[in-house]
Amino acid sequence: MLSQPLLLDINDAWKNLCRRPLRSLLSSLGIGIGVTALIAMLSISEGAKLVAFRKISSMGINTLRVEALPSRSQRSDSSINLSQGLNHEDGVQLEQWLGTRGKVGAYARKDNVLVRAGNKTVAATVLGVNAGWFGAEKLTVEQGRLIDDGDIAYRGNSCVIGSSLASALQIDILSTIQLAHYPSTVVGLAARRGRLLTEGTGLSALDFDNTVIVPLSSMPFAKSIAGRVLLDGLVISLEVTQEGAILSIAEQIKQLLARNHRNVDDFNIVVPVTLLREAWESQRVFSFIMGAIAGLSLLVGGIGVMNVMLANISEQTREIGLRMAVGASRARIISLYLWNSILLTLSGGLWGTLAGVLLALGIENVAGWEVVFSTFSLIIAPLSAILTGIIFGLHPARRAAALDPALALRDS
Amino acid sequence: MLTVLLEAQKVSRFFHSGKNRSFALQEVSVAVRSGEFLVITGPSGAGKSTLLNLLGGLDRPSQGDVRYNGRRLAAMNDSQVAMLRNISFGFMFQTPHLLTDRTVAENVSLPFHYGTPIAQNEIQDRCRELLEYIGMADMAGRFPDTLSGGEMQRVVFARALVRRPKVIFADEPTGSLDADNSERILVLLQEQTRQGCAVVMVSHDPEAVRYGSRVIRLEKNHSHT
Repeated sequence: MLSQPLLLDINDAWKNLCRRPLRSLLSSLGIGIGVTALIAMLSISEGAKLVAFRKISSMGINTLRVEALPSRSQRSDSSINLSQGLNHEDGVQLEQWLGTRGKVGAYARKDNVLVRAGNKTVAATVLGVNAGWFGAEKLTVEQGRLIDDGDIAYRGNSCVIGSSLASALQIDILSTIQLAHYPSTVVGLAARRGRLLTEGTGLSALDFDNTVIVPLSSMPFAKSIAGRVLLDGLVISLEVTQEGAILSIAEQIKQLLARNHRNVDDFNIVVPVTLLREAWESQRVFSFIMGAIAGLSLLVGGIGVMNVMLANISEQTREIGLRMAVGASRARIISLYLWNSILLTLSGGLWGTLAGVLLALGIENVAGWEVVFSTFSLIIAPLSAILTGIIFGLHPARRAAALDPALALRDS
Repeated sequence: MLTVLLEAQKVSRFFHSGKNRSFALQEVSVAVRSGEFLVITGPSGAGKSTLLNLLGGLDRPSQGDVRYNGRRLAAMNDSQVAMLRNISFGFMFQTPHLLTDRTVAENVSLPFHYGTPIAQNEIQDRCRELLEYIGMADMAGRFPDTLSGGEMQRVVFARALVRRPKVIFADEPTGSLDADNSERILVLLQEQTRQGCAVVMVSHDPEAVRYGSRVIRLEKNHSHT
């Protein structure tokens, strides 16, 4: 509950501001612009954080991904004689080296394969995987079963199919589908998983729900060289969750693969922890720049408010003298003019918050950036406006309180 | 024998002008008793308003003491002096200082913004009584710029009286009024003294001086009682 003197001062301060509406509006404009920038900055920054978090989450924070780089068909240099590219042996060796510290999934992929069931045809990605791939990707089935060691060993033509693809083809367990010209029997329907968000990581995009997963040993599109099945990638899911341990293992895996590949740069290893660090760093830089802009706007706005306050006090000198004569202490004069300043900046803060929300939504629509309005940003923005009001209102308020009442009453 | 409410003992007020002191008032002593109508008169520059400001706690003497009920004003802090002005003193000035964006009633009740709070209905009762007393009961909701000079000064008088002060300080309260309005204000002030309130009025209007129960005349740099 606000005390009566405080309410009276707030009421008097509000009436003071209403005497010069245009002046008050213009000075709150400066603060409003600062707050608009602050809200937009915080919401864009929060949005970027969410996008980065989603991306890392889709890849798994403790999941390392290795991709062949570039594909053998595109390589024509002499390195082909030194390294045969990412292959099944790499996966086996990594599995042995990791032991209980993680799971290794190996895969070969073919995109845009026409998958047919009855009279329906859909373009999808076909993945040939080893048995460990499901564990490494943490992919489960909704119905049926996964590809198991038996499928791998007996080179069966069974497959697990993504949920979207199954819906599009209107098929169920034990249906037979055609992968281009190769028949395959659906033994499992994969649980909905969504896309692997790979933008900016150098990894190939993958929609798990539009994929046919077959045993690597019977993958019709897999290539092999000298009896070794060539891989398009490895997925390594680690048991450790500490950042330092993940980075250390990632470095060792990189060295192991580099040794196997005779230092030929034909694979790309993506460590989500590193991506997260990079995302945080770039977000930190962005936040710093935007924060500086918002801070400068608030500073300029604050100076504007101080200027208006000094002008108001100069015009209201006799009124200050009168208030002192009827019993206002210096503390109450400070309170009155401090509230003047706070109300100015708070009004700027409130409409600035609204404008900031609208600006951020506009940016989201025009630029396609994701924005998130956090409670923190919606509280910190008006608070920063109030703080600006206190900082820049204190000097004029103290100046008003320092007036000599006798002299103030004689002011013309 | 009336009790001494307010007392100035050898008060001086000077201002520094380079290395020199410029005296606005020099070693003046005066006592104000409850129920008396003290008129301070004298030529311009004699320090009449300065003395009134010192007595009313609007200014502090460079030398000497001002006491209210025996308490030195110099020993009080800013809040205590402000409280004294709020509760025990009322002020009127030559130019009626009113807040132009507040109604007559709001101007009269301005002293209640400060000092000890009282109930809102009591504030309204006091304002209504005072506006009836000064003959402006029907003007409570009007704004100052719709009033005549005499009406504005009566509003100031009501505001000075609203806290039921012990002393009313009036600095040339009739200076900007015509004869009829001047007389009206002076009569109102005189009526207050009959109820035990002291009035200290600065004036060089011979007509106004006639209303005083006691007159002191200040000359430049010295005073005569």
